[in-house]
Amino acid sequence: MMLRVVMADDEQLARRVLREYLSADDNVEIVAECSNGFEAVKAVNEQRPDVVFLDVQMPKLDGFEVLELIDGAVAVVFVTAFDQYAMRAFEAAAVDYLLKPFGAERFRACLDRVRARLREGARPADLARDLKRASRPPGEYVERVVVKDGPRVHVIPAAKLDYAEAQDDYVALHSEGRTWLKQQTISSLEAALDPRRFLRLHRSYLVNVERISRIDANTKDTRLAVLTDGTKIPVSRGGYARFREVVGEE
Amino acid sequence: MHPILQNWRRFLLWLAAWIPLGAILVLVAHLSARLSLADSAAVMVPAAVVLAFFCLAPFYVCRSLPLRSASAARLVTQHLAAAFILSGAVMLVARLMASFVSSATAARFPAAAPALAVIVLMIYLMAVALHYAAFEMESSRRAEVLAREAQLRALKSQVNPHFLFNSLNSISALTAIDAGEAREMCIRLADFLRTSLRLGERVTIPFAEEMALTTMYLEVERVRFGGRLRLTQRMDPACSDCDVPALLIQPLVENAVKHGIAMMAEGGEIAISGECDDQWLRFSISNPFDPEAPPSGRNGLGLRNVRERLEARYGGAARMEIRVEERMYRVALTLPARAAR
Repeated sequence: MMLRVVMADDEQLARRVLREYLSADDNVEIVAECSNGFEAVKAVNEQRPDVVFLDVQMPKLDGFEVLELIDGAVAVVFVTAFDQYAMRAFEAAAVDYLLKPFGAERFRACLDRVRARLREGARPADLARDLKRASRPPGEYVERVVVKDGPRVHVIPAAKLDYAEAQDDYVALHSEGRTWLKQQTISSLEAALDPRRFLRLHRSYLVNVERISRIDANTKDTRLAVLTDGTKIPVSRGGYARFREVVGEE
Repeated sequence: MHPILQNWRRFLLWLAAWIPLGAILVLVAHLSARLSLADSAAVMVPAAVVLAFFCLAPFYVCRSLPLRSASAARLVTQHLAAAFILSGAVMLVARLMASFVSSATAARFPAAAPALAVIVLMIYLMAVALHYAAFEMESSRRAEVLAREAQLRALKSQVNPHFLFNSLNSISALTAIDAGEAREMCIRLADFLRTSLRLGERVTIPFAEEMALTTMYLEVERVRFGGRLRLTQRMDPACSDCDVPALLIQPLVENAVKHGIAMMAEGGEIAISGECDDQWLRFSISNPFDPEAPPSGRNGLGLRNVRERLEARYGGAARMEIRVEERMYRVALTLPARAAR
């Protein structure tokens, strides 16, 4: 089976090893070599490769962030010197996890695995799309949210995210007066962010605690949160309980 | 709670230590008030037991009046006041016991009172001194333990496994491209590891040796990052002989690479400088960084380590300053120039 490959690693020598091993296989075509996360997202979305080899720590975006911004199905292999990401990579439905340095034998096994996964057709990467977005070590939360802005990538630091609103399969991220749409469920976004800083005030709303200026009674059973910029957000009964828990009893 | 009261064995030892002191008090009462030994013991043993407990009190007084920070006037007045009050109380107990024993004993007791009061006062003041001595020993032992732990941690972070694996990966790439360069890289890596293990065993080393190690490290990293890693060094030759804690600077350079250069697509320049006069050695390292880079993990641990080691070694005399400008990160160290003893 012919494989179209994109590889991303910021180290030239690391890309050289990959290229050397890949060129030993006649049925492989390298369609792009990238040296940072932005390039990787662009290359994968434009070239639609079968498989992408991703370093985890790269400039601009790390490997997991790249994964979040990739459209459609592609088999993912992480290549890194850090073994502590293995669990996360597995949860992100990566096909394989290569630890640097690795040998030709190990690499052939990896390619076999990629081919087997692609032959299965139903790509688990798709099914696990939502899961992978929530994947991260327990107790650690993302400090930034990455979102695709046409061909570009926009990075929203968690501190600058005002609130998120569920819209079908998307979340609308409100930050600094602008709105960004991202294909993600609000629950997986909630799971990725620090629960002490972001509160699910309502089934459809996840709000930055620091932006809440007050909570008003609306009707008998409902409340409204007023944010520092004046935005009003409905608060469910459960949401109000969570708010009291985080802010403390008054 | 007082450490002596925390443990039965210590408490019994403490009471045992009071047998001779109690014996002295009994003897003094016997001789100067002409009481029989039995009467004298009946009067002074309860007083000695009370005094034994009172002599635990300096633990709390000394803790609230540390030798280094409290003024001399306060130290003297507070301890003397406590001493007079507590000895007065002990004497009162003795006086009460005397009147319980018999009216004759009560009548004779005042003859021994001045001598007894002086001894009780002295014993209490001795307890104060012992407590201060114990506190001093405890704090110097703690500083030593801290210094050793910091060094161990530094040694651990020294042979950073990721640095090692990435370097091995570079070697693995080079073997197919340029065997000679691959061998060079193996040798550089071995030199760095050997030197860092050797220097890590020592407490302080000359600044020149620390810089030589840093250069070895950067040479290995330069193979990995190629043109992305650039370096300028400005070293005052006078720095070479200054003693610095071993492996103090190397983690700072590693940070500059890991959080700065490695996270920048186009790379950048690490600038290292050192100067020194009669009193101070000033070292600084700066690197550009990308404020929008993805988190590069465990930020600040290395810096905290350096800060703790400076604290353990120099107390307040050394300084570490961190300046973060828009896209530039700078760490500056100021150390006593020849402080190594």
